[in-house]
Amino acid sequence: MSKATALIFGHNKYAHEIIANVKDKYAHVKVFSLHEEDLQESEIELELFDLSDEWVEMKQGVDMENSIAFCVLEDIAENIFLTISLRANFKDLTIIALASNSESANKLKMAGASKVIPLVETTSDIITNMLEKPIANKVLHSILYEESDLKIAQIKIGEGSHFKDEELSSIDWTRYNGIIVLSVMRKDKKSEFIYSSKAKRHIIEEGDILVVVGYETDIAEFENKIGSKRYVNWSHWSW
Amino acid sequence: MLKRWIINFAYYLDTSKSYQKRKRFFYNILEDDKNKYKKYIDIFMAILIFISVGVLIREVKHHVDDHLMFFSNYVISFIFLIEYLLRFWVSSSVSKIIVARAEHDTFLHREVNLYKAFRDVVKVKLAYMLSPMALIDLFAILPFYHELRLLRLFILFRVFKLFRYAKSLQTLSSVLATKKFEFLTLGIFAAVVIFISSVLIYVMEGNNPASPIDTLYEAIYWAIVTISTVGYGDMTPVTHEGRFVAMLVIIAGISVLAFTTSLFVSAFTEKLDEIREMKTIEDVSKLKKFYLICGYEHVAREVARKLSSHRNDIIVMDEDEQRVAQAKKDGFTTLHYNPGRIESYEKLGIDIEKQVKAILCLRENDIENVYAALTIRSINKEVFILSLLMSDANKKKMTFAGINLTVYPQELVGLITKELVGKPVAFEVIHELRSENADVKIDELGVTERIVEYFPTVGDLGNKDFRVVLLGIYKQSSDRFYFNPLDDMLLEVGDYLLVVGYQVFILEFEKYLHTKIKASNE
Repeated sequence: MSKATALIFGHNKYAHEIIANVKDKYAHVKVFSLHEEDLQESEIELELFDLSDEWVEMKQGVDMENSIAFCVLEDIAENIFLTISLRANFKDLTIIALASNSESANKLKMAGASKVIPLVETTSDIITNMLEKPIANKVLHSILYEESDLKIAQIKIGEGSHFKDEELSSIDWTRYNGIIVLSVMRKDKKSEFIYSSKAKRHIIEEGDILVVVGYETDIAEFENKIGSKRYVNWSHWSW
Repeated sequence: MLKRWIINFAYYLDTSKSYQKRKRFFYNILEDDKNKYKKYIDIFMAILIFISVGVLIREVKHHVDDHLMFFSNYVISFIFLIEYLLRFWVSSSVSKIIVARAEHDTFLHREVNLYKAFRDVVKVKLAYMLSPMALIDLFAILPFYHELRLLRLFILFRVFKLFRYAKSLQTLSSVLATKKFEFLTLGIFAAVVIFISSVLIYVMEGNNPASPIDTLYEAIYWAIVTISTVGYGDMTPVTHEGRFVAMLVIIAGISVLAFTTSLFVSAFTEKLDEIREMKTIEDVSKLKKFYLICGYEHVAREVARKLSSHRNDIIVMDEDEQRVAQAKKDGFTTLHYNPGRIESYEKLGIDIEKQVKAILCLRENDIENVYAALTIRSINKEVFILSLLMSDANKKKMTFAGINLTVYPQELVGLITKELVGKPVAFEVIHELRSENADVKIDELGVTERIVEYFPTVGDLGNKDFRVVLLGIYKQSSDRFYFNPLDDMLLEVGDYLLVVGYQVFILEFEKYLHTKIKASNE
C-alpha cells in the first residue's frame, strides 16, 4: 500500500518533475512555497509556509504518519533548516531531500533526511556511466524507468512461500529462467547481492525481499511459483 | 624562347603533384614540429653536432683518429650542406613567384617581365640567407672548406644549430626576442659606458709607465672586466685620476648588471604563462584518446574526477580564470580558451576525429553549451557531444545544434523519486550497481574472436562458477539486448556480455575468458 499524501516543499523545476512522476502514486499531492508571489503565478495549487512554522496546521490537516515529504528548496541552508524542522516535529515521517553536492548531502542526513539525492553526484554518475558503460547504462535505465518490457520488482517472501527456511545458495535459480534474482534484502534491512559469498550462507526467512529483473509475465509466474507477493509497503521500509 | 621555356617550366613545377609532394615532405621533416619524423631528424642532427664539438675538444691535446676527423670535417659538413640546401629550397617557392608574375602581367595584357620575377626571387632567397639561423647554418659548414686552425672554431657555430633542434632553446630565444628593444637599449647603454670608461682610463693611465694599462685594447679589456664586476685584478689603475675613473666605472657597472638581470627576469615572467601553455598544447597533441570537457563547474568537476579515476585522459577547456585555476588545482590538463570559439580548437591543433573520445559541454548554462556545441559541429560533424541541459525548453535547440545526448538533472530527480517511492529496495540495488564506490558492479565485457572460439555458446561461459550474473547479451549485429539468454545462444564477435557481480569476481571471470587458450594448450 502506498502512502496517502506527498508533501512537496519548494516551487521550482525539481518540484514540477517530482509532481509529474509521483502524482499517480498518491491520493493527495500538496505543494508548498516560501514565496507569496508564487501563489499568483503558479498554475498548480500552492500553499504558503514559512520556516518558523509550528506545523500545527499541518498536523491537523494531514495524516503525517502516512505521508512522504520532498524537500527541494533551492537555498541549501533553507532546505536543511526545513528538514531538521520536519524531523523534529514528525519522528516517523519519510523525508526525501535534494542536495546540491555531497557536502550538503551529509548535512541533510545529519538533519534527519531519510534519503538524500545529491544532485551533482547523481548527474555526474549518470554522465560517466553513459560514456563508460553505454550499454549497461541503457539497459539499467530502461529497466529502472520502465521504458522497456523488462521490469525490476521486489518480492517479499511470505509465510507460505516454499523458499522459506531454505539456504539461498541451495536454490537453483536457473529453474526460473525467465527472471534473474539480483539481490536479497534481509529482515535486518541489509541488502545482499545474490551471488556474494556472504549471501551464500544466508537462510531465506519470512519477510526477506528478493529483487528480481524480468519480463512482467515471468515475474508474475515467479510470484505464483514461490507463493510470494510484490512488495511496496512504505510502512515497513526504513532508510 | 628561353623565357617561354622558363615560364612553362615554372608552371610545370607549380602544378606537378609529385614535385610539390616531395617539397612538402622535406619542408615537414625540417620545419613542421607536428611531423612525426622531425624529432628523429632533430636527434640525428644534434648527435652530429655533439660529435663535431667532441672532436674539436679532443683535437686540442690529443691525436684524433683520421677516420673520425674525416667524418667530422667532411661527412658531417656534407650532411649540413645538404640540410642547408634543402632549407634554402623549401624556404620559398621560385616557381610560385614566376607564375604569380606571369599571371599578373598576362592579366594586365603586358609582356611577362622575368627580370622583376627574378628580382623578387633574389630578394626572398637573400632574405632567407641573411636570417640569423641561415647564417649559423652556413658558418657551420665552413670547416668543410678550410683547414685553418682559427676557422675550425666555426665548428662552434654548429652548437648554435642546436637552436633549430631543441624546442626549449627555441623557447628561450623567442622569449628574449620579445624584449628586442630593451636589449638594444641595454646594448647601447653598455657600449657607451664601456667606450667612455675605456677612453677615460686610457687618457688617465696610458702615459704612466707604472700603469699596466698601456694600449686602448688593454683599456677596453679593463673596462669590460670592471663593469661586469668580475674584476680579475690583473690590471689596476695606479694614478689617483685612474682610481677615480675606476670608482665611476664600478658604479656604472652595477647599474648595467641590474638592468640586464631585471630585463631577463621580466622577459621570462611575462612569458611564463605562454611557455606553460605551449607545453600544455604540446602534451595534448601527444594524447591518443581523451575526453574534452568544455566548462568547469560543479557537475563538470565531478565528471572529470570520475572519468579520470577510470584511467581516462581529460582535457578541460574554460574561459573563466577562476574555473581554470580550479581545474588546474584538481590536477587536470587545462586550457584557458573559450570553448565557443573556433580559434581555440585551431590553436590546440588536435585531430578531433582521431584524438577525442567525446566532447562534454558541461557549463551550467544552456546558451554557452549550445554555442560551444555549434562551434565544435562547424569543425567536426562526427564527434560525440554530450551536454548538460538546464531548462527543458531548450532541448530542441540542443538537438538542432548537433548535440548527441543531453542530460537534464531536473528530469533525473523526477525519475529517481518515482522509483524511490515505488520500489525503494530495487532502486537501491540499481543505484548500488551504478555507484562508483560500491563493491558490486555492472560491467560490459566485449566478446572477442578468442572468446567465441573457446566459448561458442552462453552455456560454455561458466559465469556461475565465478559468482557472476549474466544479465544479458547485447548483440551489435541486431542492436538488441537479449535479457537472461538461454544456454544454447551463440556468441558472436562484437557482442557485449552484461555481467553483474563483485568487482573482483568480474575481473577473475574476465581473466578466465581471455586466458582460456593458454589453459586448453596446456
